[in-house]
This record gives sequence, C-alpha cells and structure tokens, in this order.
Amino acid sequence: MKGAEPEAPGPSPPQPAQGLTKGDKSEQPGLDPEPDTHWQRTEEEEALIEFHRSYHELFQFFCNNTTIHGAIRLVCSKHNRMKTAFWAVLWLCAFGMMYWQFGLLFGEYLSYPVSLSINLDSDKLVFPAITVCTLNPYRYKEIKEQLRELDRITEQTLFDLYKYNASSTLLAGARSRRDLGETLLYPLQRIPVPPRPECGGGGLKCNRDKSDCFYQTSSSGVDAVREWYRFHYINILAPLADASPSLEEEALGSFIFTCRFNQAPCTQANYSHFHHPIYGNCYTFNNKNDSSLWMSSMPGIHNGLSLTLRTEQNDDIPLLSTVTGARVTVHGQDEPPFMDDGGFNLRPGVETSISMRKEALHRLGGDYGDCTQDGSDVPVQNLYPSKYTQQVCIHSCFQESMVEQCGCAYIFYPRPKGVEFCDYRNHSAWGYCYYKLQGAFTSDSLGCFNKCRKPCSVTNYKLSAGYSRWPSVTSQDWIFQMLSLQNNYTINNKRNGVAKLNIFFKELNYKTNSESPSVTMVTLLSNLGSQWSLWFGSSVLSVVEMAELIFDLLVITFLLLLRRLRSRYWSPGRGPSRGICDLWSDSDTTAPEAVLSPMGE
Amino acid sequence: MPLLGNSPGRFQRSATSAMAPGEKIKAKIKKNLPVRGPQAPTIKDLMHWYCMNTNTHGCRRIVVSRGRLRRLLWILFTLTAVALIIWQCALLVLSFYTVSVSIKVHFQKLDFPAVTICNINPYKYSAVRDLLADLDQETRGALKTLYGFSEVKSRRRRGAESENPAWEGIQPKFLNVIPLLVFNETDKGRARDFFTGHKRKVSGNIIHKASKVMHIHESKKTVGFQLCPSNDTTSCATYTFSSGINAIQEWYKLHYMNIMAQVPLEKKINMSYSAEELLVTCFFDGMSCDPRNFTLFHHPMYGNCYTFNNRENETTLSTSMGGSEYGLQVILYIDEEEYNPFLVSSTGAKVLIHQQNEYPFIEDVGTEIETAMSTSIGMHLTESFKLSEPYSQCTEDGHDVPVENVYNAAYSLQICLYSCFQTKMVEKCGCAQYSQPLPPNANYCNYQQNPNWMYCYYKLYQAFVQEELECQAVCRETCRFKEWTLTTSLAQWPSEVSEKWLLRILTWDQGQQINKKLNKTDLAKLLIFYKDLNQRSIMESPANSIEVLLSNFGGQLGLWMSCSVVCVIEIIEVFFIDFFSIIARRQWQRAKEWWARKQGSPCPEGPPGWRGQDNPALHVDEDLPTFTSALQLPPAPGAQVPGTPPPRYNTLHLGRAFSSQLSDTQVPDES
Repeated sequence: MKGAEPEAPGPSPPQPAQGLTKGDKSEQPGLDPEPDTHWQRTEEEEALIEFHRSYHELFQFFCNNTTIHGAIRLVCSKHNRMKTAFWAVLWLCAFGMMYWQFGLLFGEYLSYPVSLSINLDSDKLVFPAITVCTLNPYRYKEIKEQLRELDRITEQTLFDLYKYNASSTLLAGARSRRDLGETLLYPLQRIPVPPRPECGGGGLKCNRDKSDCFYQTSSSGVDAVREWYRFHYINILAPLADASPSLEEEALGSFIFTCRFNQAPCTQANYSHFHHPIYGNCYTFNNKNDSSLWMSSMPGIHNGLSLTLRTEQNDDIPLLSTVTGARVTVHGQDEPPFMDDGGFNLRPGVETSISMRKEALHRLGGDYGDCTQDGSDVPVQNLYPSKYTQQVCIHSCFQESMVEQCGCAYIFYPRPKGVEFCDYRNHSAWGYCYYKLQGAFTSDSLGCFNKCRKPCSVTNYKLSAGYSRWPSVTSQDWIFQMLSLQNNYTINNKRNGVAKLNIFFKELNYKTNSESPSVTMVTLLSNLGSQWSLWFGSSVLSVVEMAELIFDLLVITFLLLLRRLRSRYWSPGRGPSRGICDLWSDSDTTAPEAVLSPMGE
Repeated sequence: MPLLGNSPGRFQRSATSAMAPGEKIKAKIKKNLPVRGPQAPTIKDLMHWYCMNTNTHGCRRIVVSRGRLRRLLWILFTLTAVALIIWQCALLVLSFYTVSVSIKVHFQKLDFPAVTICNINPYKYSAVRDLLADLDQETRGALKTLYGFSEVKSRRRRGAESENPAWEGIQPKFLNVIPLLVFNETDKGRARDFFTGHKRKVSGNIIHKASKVMHIHESKKTVGFQLCPSNDTTSCATYTFSSGINAIQEWYKLHYMNIMAQVPLEKKINMSYSAEELLVTCFFDGMSCDPRNFTLFHHPMYGNCYTFNNRENETTLSTSMGGSEYGLQVILYIDEEEYNPFLVSSTGAKVLIHQQNEYPFIEDVGTEIETAMSTSIGMHLTESFKLSEPYSQCTEDGHDVPVENVYNAAYSLQICLYSCFQTKMVEKCGCAQYSQPLPPNANYCNYQQNPNWMYCYYKLYQAFVQEELECQAVCRETCRFKEWTLTTSLAQWPSEVSEKWLLRILTWDQGQQINKKLNKTDLAKLLIFYKDLNQRSIMESPANSIEVLLSNFGGQLGLWMSCSVVCVIEIIEVFFIDFFSIIARRQWQRAKEWWARKQGSPCPEGPPGWRGQDNPALHVDEDLPTFTSALQLPPAPGAQVPGTPPPRYNTLHLGRAFSSQLSDTQVPDES
C-alpha cells in the first residue's frame, strides 16, 4: 500500500508485487526517477519472456520463491557450513527414501497386478442355444449303396480276425470272401503285442510310396474296428457331405415329438438345422440372433425347454452308431456347437432334466493378461462363422495345418475356401498324413495352443442332470398311443424309442468373475503424491519450477557467453555490426529490452 | 494469517460497541494485526496478496515471474494442476464403493444340509381315484374321441373302467367348463369342439401359435383349449399345443388343481405317502436312522415330502468325514402302480438340498432320481457373503423389499417372486393359486367360487413372464447364501446277483406297510454326501475405507500442488468469502454514492454522461441499484441524472482503505 499516491491514474497496481520487484532490482534504484510512469510501462510493455541478468540474481530469485522444502535450506543457506552439510545429508536421505519408495510403487504398478472380483447378479437371462443331435447321420437304407463295399469288407475282417460271423441281416448281398481285400487301402491287421498274450487290432496307414508306415493300434478290437470303420466312413461320405444336407430336413417332426419353451410350443423361428457327419441331424434351438430369443425370467423346470425325442434305432448304421439315444449340448448363441467336446448323452426311456447355472468370466486384456478381445489379433483364421473362442481357434488352427501339409481339409471342421475335403480317391495318403498331424498336434509341435489365446470374456453354463423313468407305467399306454398317432411312433419299442429332455435354469443368480486392476493409475499417483509429500513436501509444480530454473540457467549462460564473445571479438570499430555491438556492450541499462529485459525493465 | 483475514473488521465492530475499554483494545488490534486480506481494496489486490502468501505451489510464481508468457504459462500450469486434482479426486470418489473379494477355504466339520425328498406322484392313485373319477373318465373319453385311443390294452384299469358304461351317457362337467378344441389347419379361426361337434368361432387372440413343423403328418390339426371370462366370450384366450400329450396334460392339470383346491389339507396328507412307506431304509453317518428323523412338508403339487435334518429336529446334524459312507443313504419306495396316469408321466423321486430355513422349491430345482438305480450325489459347499447397500442391491433378510413373504421361510429371491405373483393373483383374480402358499385372508381358486380364475391366471402368468407385473424389478437377491454344487452319478441297482436276496429282505422288512412283493423298479437308492469337507467362502469386503480415501486425497493434493486441507480452506476463504465481501462492499458504496448524488443535487444539466474522472478498472461492474435503494426511492420517470461530476472513485476507496474506518461513516461527509 505504501507506493500508491492518490493521483496515480494507474489501475490500482498490485502493490505488494511492486514492493517485491523493487526489492529485487534494488541494484538500479535510480534508473527510473518516475515510478508511476515506470509501472505503467511495465504493465503494458512487459516483455513476452524475461530473463535474469546474472546467475546470482537468478539464484536469489529462485531461493526467494521456490517451494521445494529441503532444497531451500541446502542451496540458500550458505552462511553456515555446518548447517549446509547437515541439510545436504538430510536431503540426500529423504531423496533416497523417496526414490526407493517410488521404485517399489512403480514396480508394483508395472507388474500389472489384478484383483479378482466376484459379482453375483440376478437378472432375467437369455436362454442359451441348445443343440440336439440324433446320433445317427444317415438312414441306413438310404446310404446302404455307398457303404455296401465297406460293410462287406468290415464283416469279412471281423470274421477273419475275431471269427465273428455276421448275421445276414447286416448285409443282404451275397458275400464272396475270396475276391475282396484289395479294394480298400489300409487294411485292418492283427498286430501281435509282445508283452501281452492278447492281440490288439490295428490299422496301418502308409504314405504314398509305402516307405514309411504308421501303425494305429488299439488294445480292444471293438475300438479298432470302430476307428477303422469311422475312418473309411469319412472317406466315403466326404463327397456326400455337401451334396444332400436336406436329407432329413423335413423330418424334424419325426425326431422331435414335442417341443415347448416356457409352456409355449416352439415355432419354426426358434430352431435351425445342420448335418453333422457323425452325430447326424442336429437341431439348434434359440440360435437365431434376433429379437425372438428366448428369455428366462423364472428359474425352474417349467420355465425352460422341454423336448420329447425319438431315439428309435431301426435304421442306424450298425458299425458306426454304437450308442443309442440323443446328444445335447448347451452353448452360447454365437458359438458353434461342438458336439464332441461339450455334449451330454440322453438315454432312451428316461427323462433327463438338465439344470444350468450361468457363469461368466471377464479377464483384463492388454498388459494385465494374455487374452484376446475378439480374436482379430490371433494369427489363425477363424473358419467358423461365429465369434472367437479358444476351441474355434484350435480347430481352425488344426485345419490350417491339415490343408497346408496334407492338401485337403478334415471333414469334421469347416474347410477354407477352395479346398476340398479329404477323400482317398483324390488324396490317397491323407490318412497317414492326418494321423501324423494329430500326433504333432497333441504334442503341440504345431503351436496351436500357443497361437490360440484365451478370449477375454467367456460365458459358460454349468450343467447338472437328474434322471427319472419316462413314461411311467401307468401313463405309458396313452402316451405311446398318442405318439404313434401323432408321430408314427412304433409302440413296440416301448421306452427304448423315446427320451425326454428338460433344460432349465436352476437359478437366475449368475456369478461373474471379473478381473480389475488392483493398482490403477489414480491410486499410483495418490501413493506417489503421498510419498513425495512425506519426504519432500514438493509437488509437480515444484518440478516445473526446477525445470524453469534449468531453462533459465541455460539461456542465461548462452546469453552471457554470447555477450562475452561479442565483447571480445567485435570490439568497437568493427564496421557493420557496430550498432548491435553497442547495443550489447552497454546492455546493462538499455539493450536487452526486447530480447532479455533485465528484471522487468 | 490468511484465516484471520476477515477478522479485523469484526474486531473493530465489537470494539466500537464496547466503548471506552474497547477503544484501547481496538487500537491494540489495529497495531498488531495488519489490515490486509479482505481489506484489500480490489479483487486484483486480493489475488495478489493471496498468491504471495499462500503455501500452495504455483500461485506465487504467477506473481513473481517476469514476462507475460512466463506468467501465462504459470497460470496454465496452476490451473492444470487444479483440474488434475479435481479429476483424480472425482475418480477416487466414484470408485469408492468397490469391493474386494476374498476366497477362503476351511477344512472343518460341516453342517449337513436339509434334504427334502418327494415322490414325483403326489397322491396314491387308489386314494384319489374317487375324487378324480369324473375327470379321468372325461379325459379318457377325450383321448378316445380325439385320437381313437381305446383302453383295451390297459391291464390294470380295466376293472375300474368296466364299472362305468360308455362315457357318452354322462353329462361331462369338466369339458363343459373348459372344452378341448380341435383346431384345423384348413379353416383358421374356427375350431371344433370335439365333444359337441359344434364348430365354434374362435375369436380373440390365439396365444400359443403352434409351429408348422411340429405337426402331425397326416392330420393337420392341433388341440387346445380356450379360456374365457365367464360373462364375456369375445375376449377369450386360446391355447393350442403342438402335441396332444402336452394339451391333455395341461388340461388335466388345470382341472386337477381345481379339484384339489377344495380338499382339506389333512385329507390330502392322508391320501399321500407316509414316511414309513416312502423311506424303506435310512442311514446317516454310518448310523441307522428312521422316519422320525424326517419332518413332513406338504407340497401342493408333490404331496407329502419329507425333509431330513430339518431345524425342527433338535440340532442340525453334521458330518465329520467326507465320502459316501458318511452321508445320507436312503432307499425309497416308489410305487409305480399308484401313479396318476395323466398328471405325471415320469417315475422317480425328487430330491432337493437346501438350507434348514429355506423353503424347498422342489418343483423348480429338485433333482430327479431314477428307480432301479443308485444315485450318488456328491456335494461341495460354497458360501457367499455380499455387501449390501450401497455396494450392491442385495438385501440382508428381505425386510426392505416391498413384497409380503407368504412363505413360512427365510427370504430368497425365488420366494419373493412367487409371493409377489401370489399377491398379485389375489389382487387381480380374487383367489390364490394352488401351487403356492396362501396369503392371509385368501382362498385357493376353484370353479365354484371363482368361475373364471383360470383365464385370469393364464393372463396373469403371461404378464408375469413378460415382466409386466414388475415383480422382477422389485425383488432383490439375498446377500448371503449357501450353495451346494452337486455331482450326480448313476449305477444300476440292485445288481443282478444281489437282487434276489435284497428284494426279499426288503419285502420282509416292509411287510406291514406294503402288502406286495417289491419289484426292482419300485425302489430307488439315494446317497448324498460331502465329497470333501472343504468349505469355500467367498466374502466381499469394502476395498476402500474413509482413511484410504483421505490418504489418497492427500496424495493427490500433495502430488500436484503440495496442497493440504488448510490450503483448501484458505482457497474457500479467499475466493468465496473475501471475494464476495469486496464485491458487496463496493456495491454498497456505489449504492450509497448513487443515493447521495440523487439527494444532493437534482441539477438539470446535460446528458447523463459519466463525467469526471472514472476508474476504468471499475467499469466492469455495472452499477446496479440494490434492493434497498430501489425500494426507498423508485426513480421518477422524468428524473435526470445529477450533472455534478461525482467524486473520484479512487480517492474514495483508497482513502478509506488507508483510514481503515468503517466505510459507512465516511460516505456522508464526502458527499
């Protein structure tokens, strides 16, 4: 308040500041005799950026104004050596402590720890997709022609190896055992197993020039025959696979007798059909990703899917289907049904009640864990028309290697464009190649398990089943009668021809296991700030002060050097640069007005 | 210091009122406390003063730095730091209500859960046959007419059948109430009542559209029934079924519930199975147990159910060992001959594992057990504890859920949903649904009293499933629950070789209850046991506490600006209190001045220009009349602004600032 005269026209200048600046530039008090005009000028014409004139000035300014705690004592108290030393030690200690702590904090943060959180939500749930398969790919009658040869040979092999005389029901045609054997590659042989008295059956797969053979053995004859039959069956059906997918399309009514969801009958919009070469006709319910998805708003057996299925096995393929019943799997809407991997077999004559419980898992991707959001960053092309899952990836990966090494595609997995399914008419050595590849796959030398990363969010359904006999003795009369009238059910099959399936949510509570970063950026910063305040009491702005100081130091050094150089080399009387030299040489008072204006002048 | 900024004025005021001794104190205070802070004449001064004296980093640099760019940069830095602090603190506050989960595994002696066992068939058919005779007969008639199904092959019922002549002779009462209809694909909108043969027009909406694919090959007809409100036949709801089996069963169940609703509870209990009948043998933890260890629980749809290890039985049993030997082992007698042919179509029993105080929802979540099989159920216990409000929406015991619990059991989500539905049912239809407990002052629905309850019920259930009743929105999950993860495995039982002696002994054992030779398919074996005694508890605990939040705040404040709570208070003081006090003071002075001008010289002179020396710094604030001044003298319409040049502003307040007197005492002498 001291310097303000009543007459001052200036817009009430900040007086304390004036006092301070006056104190700072006290070296040149008489420079400007008229303080008022001087102040007005500084207000209006203050340079864009101003520098101190000397190191001393700079440090004095810094020491007066800095906010760094220990540093003031260290740098600014030079009167007492003892004290300075003491403060230097203290400062170093604090500094060391702080950086040690910082190191710990950063180390913790950079290890990207996650904490698990379990959410229990209850909500109405989207019913998952349910796929039901007949376990019988083709009607035996319809496919008999193609399989005639294979069946005949199988039968003969069975007789040769196991002295099993197949009944004539199996094959209608007359058998002449003499003249066959050469029609099929890869004969089934009995391979003596040295340590055991028993003999196992085995298949022989060779490459083209028969130089390297690969024996596939199994200890049980049943397994060997089945495996062998299956292999040839694939070969025969490979060309057939896409020829007649509509083989039994219209026959849904003859496989699924009744279908209800939430007490209401299913409609055509609720299911889709596909054909699986081993599991037969499969019907996927609730797969269509549209608004008509089934929702469960209540748990319990009455609020789920209820199916009555035909499990008659009159026309099953005798050597292929050794299981009777039906197969069901539960999967998400946008996941392909893997009947092999997650299936559940239904027994005939039994009501199977499968209760589900939903569980979701969310992993943190990125630095926190190795998972992929949508599979776009996985070096395996997704052959399935569905979203990425690990299983999809592994199958695609296998198929990729198969196409690469064997030149044809394995029939159970989708084929890439422009590649045909394996078939030994075209690819005579594919069996050998396939078994070789499978060996490599299981020992993970194909690298599929490394390439295929976990998806970040997974939903799975935990299933548990209860069984009861269906239909009951008292009700079976009218139920069978009804089924035979409605669905051409043959009553003589009794219970063996039907199965009932209920799938429902056991509870609508679902558990979500999710990961969250246990140290976030915010907490890291908070902890850093706490440590910093604790040991130093300085802040980010103090660091900016330091940066400014260093910047100032550099600029002043540069300017001083420049000035010195100039005063040394461009001594007065040096021609063209005279004016500038003048300007710089007597810069004490006037020169740096524009470039470096000393202390507000 | 900054905290005291406002105090000198106050001290002065009190001192003037205290007169003589006060004068001395006043002088002393004046001497000791420099008049600063709010006494700063302008806002700019105040800011300057604040920046020079505060401990907050950055501020001082704004003032002391040289150069406009430097100053600007420092302003930017400081504001950025403030913004960062606010942002980070907001993030901290937002994430305050997070939980951390701990999973503990205890190995300890575990309480055995309550096990409820029911026969799938509710009542012995021989006992209820009298009640259901008419219904059964009509059902058979319907079957015969619709599907040509004759009872000839039926071995057992022939006796009962022969007593009754052809059913056409009787006036059917059930088919009249709710007729079974045959819908023909060819003519839509018309249905044939199979009994009367009349074609009746099907109006209203067909609720269940049967699919085309599910159809019978030769006869393109579907069966269904129509539910109408009694007085109004135009708004009927028609239910069609793709399969006759479902249609018949559903239709039968409707009538069955009607009939059973009128039967008193005691009679129903007597009609159902007794504990001695159902439970042939019982073993628990290697010790024999008997039906007295089971408590009766009557379920409307499953008849008599028996709960083992219920709370009503003295103490809760526990197991000290895992494995099937140390669990519950029972052999159940499932009398297949006594099954109701139309009500239930599967044979077996239902088992539910639940907490002692939980209501067994056997209908919804029970696990079926097959006859002639040994079913082993291995359990694994998981206990979950959640934190309630404000961390999540769960409820501790349901007292804060606005749904009355009609069950005599602890709250659960399921109970809430059913209670909600039942309450709505009583509200809308006037009676209670049969398969759920009765709310107070309500009766179960039946035709006699509520002729159109079925229509009402179906409508309501439809609305419930589509969440139009808002039950799902109101009901909340519980915060703590136990769940038993079950692993079921099956084996053929009894084995071929043991069958003979086993069945004989059991027959002999049960001699007094069952007067017939036991068959393999009449029995079911059940083993329930803990797989291991590891109990997993999932517990939530708050991830943040107030201390952590505060220390995080402190960290943020310290990191960016080395600020503290005192700094924050300081900012509040300077920027809100002092700031406004300065503005208010200035306004007050202006108002006074204006008033004085008005009073002093009503000189009609010249245009109302703002003559004299004005202070450009003060131009920012418009000279608005205060409320009091406006009230005291509303400006006359033709009044002219005084022509006398007003006194200089600067002189006015600078003088005041120096004299540090109360401003209001000075204004009059100046004017």
